[in-house]
Order: sequence, then structure tokens, then C-alpha cells
Amino acid sequence: MAVTLPPGLPREALRKDAARNGLTRSRAAGRILRTATAAALAVWFVLPLVPLGLWVFADRWSYPAPLPQHWGLENVDSALSRGAATGFAGSLALGLAVSALATPLGVLAARSLAFHPSRWSALFSALLFAPLALPAFVTVFGLNVLLVRLQVPSSAGVVLVLTAYALPYTTYVMRLAFGAHDLGFEEEACTLGATRGQVFLRVQLPLIAPALARAAFLAFLVGWSDYLVTVLIGGGSLVTVPLLVASAAAGTGNDGIVAVLSLIALAPPLALLLFAGMTGRRRPGARP
Amino acid sequence: MRQGLVVQGLSKSFKGAPHPALEEFSLSLAPGSCTAVLGPSGSGKSTLLRTVAGLEIPDRGSVLLDGQDLATVRPERRGMAMVFQRPLLFPHLNVLDNVAFAARIRGVPRRRARADAESFLELVQMQGTGRRAVTGLSGGQQQRVAIARGLAARPAVLLLDEPFSALDPELRSAMHELLSHVREQLNPMVLMVTHDRDEASAVADQLALISEGTLLQHSSVEAMYTRPVSLQVSRLMGGTNEVPGTIRGGVHYSALGAHALPADHPWAEGPATLLIRPERIIVLEDHNPGLPAVITRIRARGPRRLMTVEAAGVTLNAEETTCPHPAPGDTVRLQLPTSALAAVAPQPTAETSALISPTPKVPA
Repeated sequence: MAVTLPPGLPREALRKDAARNGLTRSRAAGRILRTATAAALAVWFVLPLVPLGLWVFADRWSYPAPLPQHWGLENVDSALSRGAATGFAGSLALGLAVSALATPLGVLAARSLAFHPSRWSALFSALLFAPLALPAFVTVFGLNVLLVRLQVPSSAGVVLVLTAYALPYTTYVMRLAFGAHDLGFEEEACTLGATRGQVFLRVQLPLIAPALARAAFLAFLVGWSDYLVTVLIGGGSLVTVPLLVASAAAGTGNDGIVAVLSLIALAPPLALLLFAGMTGRRRPGARP
Repeated sequence: MRQGLVVQGLSKSFKGAPHPALEEFSLSLAPGSCTAVLGPSGSGKSTLLRTVAGLEIPDRGSVLLDGQDLATVRPERRGMAMVFQRPLLFPHLNVLDNVAFAARIRGVPRRRARADAESFLELVQMQGTGRRAVTGLSGGQQQRVAIARGLAARPAVLLLDEPFSALDPELRSAMHELLSHVREQLNPMVLMVTHDRDEASAVADQLALISEGTLLQHSSVEAMYTRPVSLQVSRLMGGTNEVPGTIRGGVHYSALGAHALPADHPWAEGPATLLIRPERIIVLEDHNPGLPAVITRIRARGPRRLMTVEAAGVTLNAEETTCPHPAPGDTVRLQLPTSALAAVAPQPTAETSALISPTPKVPA
């Protein structure tokens, strides 16, 4: 807002006065504090990745040397020979499968809870969130017996159990989104001539897309990062990156290989997160 | 052939509601007409509009458009565009694509749909804003775009659900002008609901007064003000002067004397309440001919003055005066023009009188 100052009162004098009486001091201090906190958090997140990055290219790095003595790609070769590519493909397939199943199921559950509340809603919510409350180890052991008796293929069993574990996350995220969703948009589209399918594709889907992406991302993470269910129910039939990381970390002298596998495990979620962050910043409605 | 919109005996109840939202509601709209359904909050106006649009399923009754019963026609096939109180512009589309929405879902190529949308934006004086994000528009601009979007769907009936009630008075006047302009240009059939008498009178040529889901009167704007069919209608339309008496031979006899009623209407003989709107009573200085009265109270209403006068033991409210400086206690003369008089059956039952507002003879 433009402010017209009285004649003879320069803007600089006003600013000095404000600084002297403390009107602007707290705001500046707050800004410095915020910047410092953000920088500390960035360091906190990035710092553990630095030794990992160094280990990837360290053919030899002995204590107490601050940096690797020999640089090279031996660790990468070793990781690949231990099945890093297969593990990557397995994790990717598992993450995508869990995401593909848990996201639409979460949408349906959330929509039902948001728009069709009943006296059973609380019970359904409790059942949906039960997998998070129960100890995974106990549940997975119990389910393993059941799946074996039902002769469910182990890979399918892994996907099914992880989908159940991802469902609370997707339901929660979508429930929040539907809570803020205005059904008036759908009614408006309807009176403008849109069929149910068109309302879903052209109105509902774009409006819930950011939440849908978040839900899908969380479900993907559940599948991508799982170890326990893959080991116990998969029984070795499914090789994923977390299994390889655990296997390599159990041995000695595998620091470099563990670093390569860990970075492989980090890359897809990080890339997805960055992608979601960048697309989420687009100005609404400004698309030509 | 266009026969207009006919609503027949529409009834709708909601679970837990104390009374039906609509009760045997019937209404006819001629092609090209603009009808405003006027009523207080909770009277069933929006339910009527939503039922006509197909967004609510009535318990009984039917909606006919050009003779076709719409009972089995889905909302998207009814050819009725609705503009709500909130503009509900799709936030993921820009202004132009919002207006082009109906054409795009009909399968019209994007380029042609956008060109068409441009012409509707021009109609609502929003040309040049097509590429803007809808979130960057003001409330009035958003409502203009919403109207353009509704019109671009080329509806058989344009349904307006209190579309201007969230706007400030100046903007509302501008939107009333805009609606008149749109009607001149496209002559659409418009069914609008509002709780604002002035707005209804400004934009519509027919008014339908609704209370507790029941149609009280459907008539021209002027008739609604000057020939209310009941005390309830008179009161809902802002009438505050009610004089009990009797009609004999087209003349109303009361404490105010004998007053001939307009000859263009058959007045039923017997007990009747004489009605005259405050703005139609002429207040003159004491030396003029007329009914002697004393000013008991004066209140300013912006540029107007609202006077309470006492004449022959009857309290009346009046707005106009030729007196230069009226003051409480002054003696004045009242003239009640015959053309401004109407009479209705006396006070209705207690249950209907409880609904009426404002309170008679004591303006808020």
C-alpha cells in the first residue's frame, strides 16, 4: 500500500524511528531465526548423505583418513553383481503395485466416510487404521500361516498385506481432501451438462489430484521400503532393495556396497517428492 | 414449440425437518420470462430450484419443460444451467476454459469452444480476462464469469440461486443491470430465487412468493406490491398499514371513513382489512384537504423519512410528505389515493400470523 508522508518527513527518518522504538526488531529477529532453522534442518537432512555419496566412489577408505584414499566404481560393480538392478525392479514393482491398489481403495473408503457418514463410520475407521496399531511382526506371522493355507502365491501375498498396511495412509490423506472438497463443483458441472464420468474426469479428479498424488506416494513408500513383510511372507521369492541392503549390511567390509544400495533406495522417493513439490507449486487455473 | 416451464404440485420433505421444504408447489414460467421466487430464509426457495434442476428428487409432483415431463431426465440432460450463490468456478481451469466447459464436454473442439466462450465473456463485460486464473478475480467478476458459463451452456432455463446475495450493494446493482442486458440480448427463461424484495423487483417481471414451501402468490411485480392476496403476502412484501373494516358496494368502511376501492377488481363484500403501502400515502400540510392526522414519530431512513401518524385512532406509516419541516406533534392531512388501496380478508389464523414479518404498524 502506498503511503503519502507529510512534507518534511523523509521516509528514512521514519524507518530509523521505527527501528529505535523496537517496532521492526522482532520481525527481523524472526526472519533470522527462521533462516537459521531452515539451514540447520537442511544440514541435518543432507549431512548423512555426504558419507554415503563418498562411499559410493571409494574403492578404499580406511580409518582415520578423512576422505577415500582410492576413488573408483568398484562398489557400484559389486552392488550390481549382487542383484541391485533386480532388487530395484522388484522394489519398484512392489511399490507401484501397492500404490495402484491402496490408492483407489483409499479413495473409495475416504469418499464413503466423508460423504456417507453412518453410525458404523467410527467402527470402519477403527478397522481401517487397525494395521497401524497392531505390531507388524505379530500380524505378519499370523497372516503368513493363513496365506500359505489359502495357497496364495507369496508375491501376491506380499502385495496384499502391504496394501492393507498402506490403506490407512491413503484413506487418511484422501479423507482430509474430501473433507475440504466442495460437492457444489460437481453439481455445477452436472447442471452444465457433464455426465457422471465427465464430472469425475474433468472436475473431481483435477480437484483431488494433489491429495491423490500424496496418497499414492505414501502407498508407494510402504511398498518400496518394506523389509519385514517381504522377508516373512515373500520367503525370498521377491528380491527388493531393502532386502539387499539388509543382507549387505549384515556382512563386514561392505560399507561401499551398502552405500550404493542405500542411495538406490533413496533415489525414487526423493525424485517423486521433488516432482510432486514442483508440480504442486503451479498456479491454479493459469494453465492455457 | 416452446411452452415454458411448468412446476406442478411439487412436494419435498427432508428427514428431521419440522415442515416440508415444498408443499404442493405449482408455478408456470413463460418462455423468455424472468420469475423471481421470493421468500425468507428456509422457505424452500433453493429446494425448489434444486428440484427443478434435478439435483433433488421430489416426493410428489412434476416438472415439465415445453410439455415434457422431466421426472426421468437426469440433471445433465435437462438443459438447465444453475448459478449458485457462490460462483463455484472450477479452480483448475482458467476463466476462458470455465466458460467453455459446457461446450467442451459436448465435444466441441477446444478452439471453437474458446472462441464461443470469448463472446460470452464479452456479454458479461469480462473480455480480455480469459487467460486469468479464476482465483485472481474479485467476487463480482467471479459471479459474472459464472453467469457467462451458465449462459454458454445455452440452457432452456437459467436457474439463479441467490447469485448476488454475497455481493456489496453497488456490485449488486451492477449485476442487476448486467442481467437486464443479458435478457435483452439472449432472452433466456430465468428462474431466480432471492430473499431480497428489491432485487426481485429489479430483475424479474413475475414474482412468486413462497413461505414454508407453499406458494402464497404468483403475479407481476406491481400486483405483488399493490394487490396482495393476503395479509401475509402484504407483510412479506413490506406492507405495514392495515385498517380493519368492512366492504360494501366496492367501498371500504373503517375508522378512517369510507374509501372507494379500485374499480378494476371485484371486491368481496364483508369484513376486510384495508391495505395501503407507506410510500403511497400522501402527507400534506394541515391547510390541505384530507384526513386529519398527527405525526407521532419520525425516523430517517437514509434519504427518506419514515413517519408514524395517528388518524382517527388508527396508526399508519407513511414515507412521502410535502411538509417542509415535519416534526412529531404536527397536525397534517393524509390522502389515500384510490389506486393505491387494496383489501384482503381479515387476520388469518394464529399459526400463519406467527410467520409474518415485519410486525405490522411498527416498522423495524
